[in-house]
Amino acid sequence: MVRQLDRPLTPAVRPARPAALAGLTAWAGRLARPLFWLLLVFTILIPCAASLVLTISPRLFDQGTQWFTLSYLRGAFTGATAIAITNSLWVSAAAAVLGVAVGLPVAWLAGRTTLPGRRFVAGGMWLVLLLPSWLPALGWQRLVQPDGVMYRLGLDLPGVTHAIMGPFGVVLLLGLRSVPFSFLAVTAGLAGLGQEFEDAARVHGASRIGALRLILPMLAPAIWSALAIGFAESISDFGVAATLAYNSNFSLATYQLYQAIDNFPPSFPAASAMGCLLVAAVAIPLALQARALRGRSYQMLSGRTRQAVRRQLSRPGAACAAAGVALFFVVALGVPGFGAVSGSLLADYGGSFSLTLVNYRAVLHASGQLGPLERSLVYAVIGASVTVAGGFIAAWLLAQRRGTSSRERRVLDFLLLSAIALPSVVFAAGYIFFYNLPVLSRLGVDLYQTTTLLVIAYIASSLPTSSRVLMGAVSQLQPSLKDAARTHGSGELTAWARGVLPVVSRPLVMAWLLTFCGVFLELPISQLLYAPGSPPASVAIQDNLGNYHFGVGMAQSVLAVAVAMLAVAAVLGGYRLLAPAGWRRIGGVRSG
Amino acid sequence: MTRTITRNRFRCTAGAIAVGALALAAAAGCSSSSTSTAASTSAAKVTLVVYSAQGYDQAMTTAFHKATGIPVKLDDNSTGPLLTQIEASKNNPNWGLLWVDGATAFAGLDQQGLLQKGFEPKADWNSLGQQSLPADKSYTPTGVTLMAALVYNKTKVTDPPATWQQLLEPQWKGDVGMNDPSQSGPTYPFIAGMMNYLGGVNNGESYFTKLKSNGLIIHPTNGPTLQALTSGQIKLALVQSSAGIGAVLGDKQLAVKYLDPVTLLPSAIGIDAKAPAAERAEAEKFIEFVLSPAGQKVMQSGDPTGDSLYYPVLQGVSPLSSLPSLASVRTQTINPYTWGPKEATINTWFDSSIVR
Repeated sequence: MVRQLDRPLTPAVRPARPAALAGLTAWAGRLARPLFWLLLVFTILIPCAASLVLTISPRLFDQGTQWFTLSYLRGAFTGATAIAITNSLWVSAAAAVLGVAVGLPVAWLAGRTTLPGRRFVAGGMWLVLLLPSWLPALGWQRLVQPDGVMYRLGLDLPGVTHAIMGPFGVVLLLGLRSVPFSFLAVTAGLAGLGQEFEDAARVHGASRIGALRLILPMLAPAIWSALAIGFAESISDFGVAATLAYNSNFSLATYQLYQAIDNFPPSFPAASAMGCLLVAAVAIPLALQARALRGRSYQMLSGRTRQAVRRQLSRPGAACAAAGVALFFVVALGVPGFGAVSGSLLADYGGSFSLTLVNYRAVLHASGQLGPLERSLVYAVIGASVTVAGGFIAAWLLAQRRGTSSRERRVLDFLLLSAIALPSVVFAAGYIFFYNLPVLSRLGVDLYQTTTLLVIAYIASSLPTSSRVLMGAVSQLQPSLKDAARTHGSGELTAWARGVLPVVSRPLVMAWLLTFCGVFLELPISQLLYAPGSPPASVAIQDNLGNYHFGVGMAQSVLAVAVAMLAVAAVLGGYRLLAPAGWRRIGGVRSG
Repeated sequence: MTRTITRNRFRCTAGAIAVGALALAAAAGCSSSSTSTAASTSAAKVTLVVYSAQGYDQAMTTAFHKATGIPVKLDDNSTGPLLTQIEASKNNPNWGLLWVDGATAFAGLDQQGLLQKGFEPKADWNSLGQQSLPADKSYTPTGVTLMAALVYNKTKVTDPPATWQQLLEPQWKGDVGMNDPSQSGPTYPFIAGMMNYLGGVNNGESYFTKLKSNGLIIHPTNGPTLQALTSGQIKLALVQSSAGIGAVLGDKQLAVKYLDPVTLLPSAIGIDAKAPAAERAEAEKFIEFVLSPAGQKVMQSGDPTGDSLYYPVLQGVSPLSSLPSLASVRTQTINPYTWGPKEATINTWFDSSIVR
């Protein structure tokens, strides 16, 4: 039987493929796996390793006199650095849990119930993702700081100031940042969870809570992915660390690391030592994830998956659910939105409440202010497209048990998750150390300070997160989907396009948008690797914010977010209009 | 058997995707490299790579290219990231010249052997220029700002402090703000200047500790500190003079005052010692152009509410009319070769003892 399935049953009706195309495909197929690993080695492993090796051998990169030393690693365990790393560990864990605690119910409400306004939830989540983490932090700070907007409006609430300008506020902001990751991962997981499982539980007499107890473990890959991403993203976040946490005198590891590099002369080995510890910290969620999922299969998406039915919420239930979701968006979007927009409409550093469009006029008419936005748009489109292709391959290797050894999966998993945890600024420094080596220049590889290297770094830094987001959906794919297409006479690519692509099209679109948003306003990598004369949006915005053009910087931020919103709307709208109805229906839900 | 065939299927699929990804990457690479090739072959002269944190650098590089025909690639960024790039790439440097504020950074680069020594352009220096010239001529001053200027709101503060000691009085408790030296390049020279004025590191640390006890508020850079002033969070802001005067131009309620003494913060240009000889020669031409009447005109008009608000270092060039006179102000110059090597240590102390 296996032998029969190995070959299409109806070879006679399959049109013969041109020999050249077949040869090319076969040639590419043989090279695919080593080529993919080669790309990972050169774009992720070596730059990361260069950065980390620097910790013990600064002389190797002309950053000190010692060929071998452990002094920088020892230094990371002492004084202010140790405090910062401890803070980062517990704050990131709390933020990841908060992200799942909010993201999971919101995903279920939006995906499986008749929640009022559910159509806007996904869009809102994208908006939360669009905002670079420093923007909500600045918005909150502007609201609650002494003599901030809250006090000007007559709300004398020092307790709120104290709470937000401290560890609680930091956890809140990082947790809110983790919510979209949880939402996307759980939504993808829910999409593959057909109605039949819930029906089976209910038929066998399970209560709603009993059905929930059946379903939640089936979502374990998505939940663990969300926790791992939330932890890794939080521990490597720089935006909150450099704004709200910094201004609250609450030191986080990434800021401490940044200080080591930004001081003069910078200490790259000290920064790398902290980077090593942060990467090691990722072993915690990874170990927990592996322990929780060990030996189990979560392949449940097949051709027979039935569409789920939306649960009808009662009127009070719908009101409570809508209020809860609205509260989340007010906290995550309303406050930072208010902060950014108000900052962009004030001309005199926010000294008065008189509104003006002078900052927007400056962005639109002054030379060099719009170029960075256009540039970042192009980088984000290229970066997202390549990243999603690579992310899908990585997710496939990680999720599919056939054809991939467990050792290969483990190595890939650790490499990708480590890259998420490695702070971007250390990642970018690794790119400089490796791609600017004199030996590479002698070989004619002069990539440092080119747009090419910047885009490669964007892709390499986004690929781990992208693969994580796709893994939830890919792990649910049953090989029978493509086998069925092959059985019916489709060629290799056609079988993939007809059997697999429809099922994963929605997660692919989501992963593309996630990468697009991440790259569009990415700061630390851009700051170190951009090509001279071609600053991306984030660099231009930071330059304005840090100097005498705060209002112009805020106006640029608002415009950047608006541009990204339009791009997201165009992609989502395009998918809705252009994707075949069947693609959109798979993994979707119908009204009950 | 099934496993083998599945693997082959995966390979085919993944191969197609990988080829597509490579094609895209190659396309990105081609577009980038073709652009740079076009730039480098547009003229026979080599491209001069300018690392600059000056607000008028775009105007200056454009004017220089127009005047000399030398192609210029400008990397405009804040001082911190530029110095980070230079340090990270020092075994294979890509820059031709660096133009930022603060002599201590240049002294640090000079002590690492990264700057070309011995170049002095033909210029008629005034006293500010004479004070800012290094003995080994490893960098060239192009202008001077002051660190720190006291900025305040005239409607709220009618009797601003007149000395540095008065900032410690209870009257100003919780009202004084300044920048964080780990984020703001010009702030370390201010701290070093205060230590120099007060008689040493220990006395300076004592002064800033007292200032902290009196409620000193730290913001990252000039912009946020000035924002704290205009929003009312603080009443007195200690920022770079060009930032303060720029803020005054936009908000007539603000005023600037210099306390005695105020530290000179030269903007300067240094040339990469490892750059090719042709590029170093072009960098020298660039410096001469900056110090020419045409170059000074560009400096004074390129960023009218920011870096153009500097005090010239050349005879015959007057500061812009919005700059307060220095006639009644005592200025001091700190030795960058003494204070430069202490920067990391003092900044670390400031961060752990004053910021936290």
